[in-house]
Amino acid sequence: MRIESLKQFDTAVAAAREARSAKGREVWVCCGTGCLANGSKAVADAFGAQIESAGLATTLGLYHKSTGCHGFCERGPLVVIQPEGLLYTKVGVGDVPEILTKTVGKGEVIPRLLYKDPATKLAVAKYDDIPFYKHQIRVSMRNIGRVDPADLDDALAHGAYAGLARALSAMTPEQVIAEIEVSGLRGRGGAGFATARKWKACRKAHGDRKFVLCNGDEGDPGAFKDRSIMEGDPHSVIEGMTLGGYAIGAHEGYLYVRDEYPLAVVNLQKALADARDRGLLGANILGSGFDFDLRISRGGGAFVCGESSALMRSIEGRTGEPRAKYVHASDKGLFDLPTNLNNVETWADVGAIIANGGAWFAGWGTKKSKGTKAFSLVGKVKNTGLIELPMGTTLRHIIYDIGGGILKDRPFKAVQTGGPSGGCLPADKLDLPVDYEILADNGSMMGSGGMIVMDDRTCMVDVAKYFLKFLSEESCGKCVPCREGLKQMLHIFEDLCTGRGKPGDIERIERLGRGMQLGSLCELGKSAANPVMSTLRYFRAEYESHIDHKACPAGMCRDLTAYEIVSEPCTGCHQCVKVCPTEAIAGKARQKHVIDPARCISCGSCFDVCPEDCIRFIPKSLSVPEAASAPARVSFGNPSPAPARSGGTGGGACPR
Amino acid sequence: MPTLTIDGRTVHADHGTFLLAACRKAGIEVPTLCEHPAVEPYGGCRLCVVDVTRPEWDGWSKMVVACLFPVEDGIVVDTRSERVMETRKVVLDLLLARCPETPLIRDLAAAHGIVATSFVRNPVPTDCILCGLCTRVCDTMGMSAISSVDRGAGREIAPPFRAPPPACVGCLACAEICPTGFIQFESGTRKRRIWEKDFDMLRCPRCGRSHITAAQADFFAGRGGVPRSYFEICDHCKRADLAATATRLAGEPATPARQG
Amino acid sequence: MDRIYCVIPERCIACGKCELACAFAHGSEGQPAATRIHIHRRGPDLGTPVVCLQCDDPSCLAACPVGALTWNARTAAIEVSRETCIRCRMCVAACPFGNMTWDDSRHEVAKCDLCGGDPRCVPFCPTKALDYVPADRAAILPDAAVPGAQR
Repeated sequence: MRIESLKQFDTAVAAAREARSAKGREVWVCCGTGCLANGSKAVADAFGAQIESAGLATTLGLYHKSTGCHGFCERGPLVVIQPEGLLYTKVGVGDVPEILTKTVGKGEVIPRLLYKDPATKLAVAKYDDIPFYKHQIRVSMRNIGRVDPADLDDALAHGAYAGLARALSAMTPEQVIAEIEVSGLRGRGGAGFATARKWKACRKAHGDRKFVLCNGDEGDPGAFKDRSIMEGDPHSVIEGMTLGGYAIGAHEGYLYVRDEYPLAVVNLQKALADARDRGLLGANILGSGFDFDLRISRGGGAFVCGESSALMRSIEGRTGEPRAKYVHASDKGLFDLPTNLNNVETWADVGAIIANGGAWFAGWGTKKSKGTKAFSLVGKVKNTGLIELPMGTTLRHIIYDIGGGILKDRPFKAVQTGGPSGGCLPADKLDLPVDYEILADNGSMMGSGGMIVMDDRTCMVDVAKYFLKFLSEESCGKCVPCREGLKQMLHIFEDLCTGRGKPGDIERIERLGRGMQLGSLCELGKSAANPVMSTLRYFRAEYESHIDHKACPAGMCRDLTAYEIVSEPCTGCHQCVKVCPTEAIAGKARQKHVIDPARCISCGSCFDVCPEDCIRFIPKSLSVPEAASAPARVSFGNPSPAPARSGGTGGGACPR
Repeated sequence: MPTLTIDGRTVHADHGTFLLAACRKAGIEVPTLCEHPAVEPYGGCRLCVVDVTRPEWDGWSKMVVACLFPVEDGIVVDTRSERVMETRKVVLDLLLARCPETPLIRDLAAAHGIVATSFVRNPVPTDCILCGLCTRVCDTMGMSAISSVDRGAGREIAPPFRAPPPACVGCLACAEICPTGFIQFESGTRKRRIWEKDFDMLRCPRCGRSHITAAQADFFAGRGGVPRSYFEICDHCKRADLAATATRLAGEPATPARQG
Repeated sequence: MDRIYCVIPERCIACGKCELACAFAHGSEGQPAATRIHIHRRGPDLGTPVVCLQCDDPSCLAACPVGALTWNARTAAIEVSRETCIRCRMCVAACPFGNMTWDDSRHEVAKCDLCGGDPRCVPFCPTKALDYVPADRAAILPDAAVPGAQR
């Protein structure tokens, strides 16, 4: 039934809320991509089938729905039982009958399915008590995990389109922009440009035909916040873009979704169709006279198409290559017409800001970085997943209080923020608040919110090399500094990691990095040197070690590292033998074990599992075949486990 | 007329032009590789970077490529600042690594003080500097027969599927505009071959001379709305016809004329 | 545009001095092939000069895909920009009169550009078959219908 007025909208929302509250008991199964990969579809189907066959809707008033990503991806499949607010983790199809009879039927909690806090070792039953969720303030992700993305009424009951209804009935486009300005919203895709300023420029641009675009290309390795938003709450993005269109005077837009997100495309398509059917999209939205519609444009598998001008070329059907942006897209963008591009998260924030007011959003954050931000917390951290927090939260709080600290309680070494354009921050920066300018001043950047936590078993030279390799494959190749520069930079790094580093390499890296920063056409090339520059800034000693001593302080560069077992503490427990991929460790049970250097590939698996701490690594150049029987000598850079929250830099000391 | 300062000189630029044109107007040479008046600017080689500032920017300046930066009233441009020269050197150093045996690159690099590359030399030297002039001129001509393929370090200029390009008419514009001679072709009175595609030359029915391919004539005849025959008679024969007409109009007797 | 280039074919004695002057003027050290004016010889001293008509609606200009041909308002000549020309030779094929030529030795197209306003052939023509006259006088010359004197 089409909604054709504000009154009808309010009625529809009230009806949706009533229908919601009638479903007092509900089982929510996460069907975001992460949990789907772990088999949550089968779990959802099992719930559906068993609830139906047992008639539980009638007898217990029990319903079920599939929701988007809860963010705690490593613990999936996730199931939430309402109204209790219980969270069950790693749920399998076999657990479904038990959940229905025990938890739903008798109110009994099933301990083995509960989340266990790694710090306290205690199980936590309620969703809202789990530190991972407790500390979050979710704005862009407000409905993800709560609504069924395929159910518009569910979304309406949770506040979807309230902002749009307010704007179309009671605000002028200029007032909408003003509200965004008060909120202090800045682009959540990485650049952090003031959203209101961009909208104003586009509104002012000449021409009747304008576009709003959504950048759903999300190419940073380890970033998946945009995916979760598009999959889990597509209406938030549609509402935001419609508001954006209203504000700048555009009547059409594109959602550019990377090809690798098929579920996002499916869920967006359904949401678009549902919104059109209801009169929330298309002609005469909510009876306001404002026409606006959206189309989906799929990417072709290129990271560079996340760059705004390359994205526009891609939509136009041309090869995704950036162009010089001396003429702004707000004047000449898609098809040379005024265009406003924003990130998925930015659009998702807009609806909430208009519904609740700009001051509400600006109530969080720092002086220059207002509101909340989504982060993908990944890497060597105990609780990995998707979180949303106020700007200004410290890295320490994110990594330790929400992330639960470093895996296996190893020492923290660095956190990489901002993806391939960002940098690595060491332990003494853990108290930095997350803020656009503060991160940039310290050699990193906010980026789209990717946060990769690294422990002492990470070689920072290798980290830089990883990002260089990624970018060299994704560079469009149009300009010399990026295309040739990345290739040559990678050559130098491959030499560094294989013992062919030469004196002067650091200077060559710095010169080339500067040339790329100054000369490249787009931000991909300009920021390609950031991971290199930031690791050089904070971990220069590691580079020097690779060059001067052909040694990797973290013990990760295989060509430079040899592993050996120190005889004395070895109890012959055999754990190392079980994990060695090349059968390089010899030794009978309960007798001293020995690593054969000829077979050892320096993967470090034995080091990671040894419970007695008797495996050490040394520079390969120093290793001699008789090492096994020699007395344990001082090996350099051999970190040992330290208690959580160590704050120390762990290993990485250069031997002398 | 926007007035700007370039290297200390006051320049009155033409409205709507790019900074490179203003530099040239002022007699200031800025090196370029991917720029050519016949095609739209590209901004790929990055050699024409210059530093642009304004008095109110308190010393902050931005690096832009002159070929694409529109002239603005009041800007102050430095075409040889330290970081501009440094960037040009890095670009040429990188190009020299890619094309170590290409005279154009060697000369340009040497002019900037680079005799040998400090980077890893291309094990398979090429003459292609990926300036994109060939693809752009083919687009301008209207055929778009070749384009860049692949991306990043694997980027190359090639026809679709690396097969003889269906859209190519053998006009040789790509080979002519290529600054390093990378694009090879063979051309004679009867036949032409480029991009592994063979063409018949359009031969004058009277004398057998040719200048363009038959495919070229077909393409431009179609575009211009004229019959293909419009292009068939060669210039020599057309001059003879003109002479004959002039003679006739002047009342002179028509005498068999030597082909002039 | 205060002067007009005129050709009076009846006066032409086919001496070829204009061809040489043209070739020299365009820097080719007299290689005759570089001339932009061609004498169509009909006998030992009979000839018709054939030279670019500087058309009002030039086919060469229309055929050029890159705008390398432009009209010089001062001299009223159609000129080729050496820098912009991409040597596709469409103009050579397009000129209905054959007055755009391809100079293979110098690898470029060539046409009469009235030497920028001082046509070098004119002073060398012994019979004034070629002349560069003030515009008002051109109208009263005998054979107004002769091609080349149309302006």
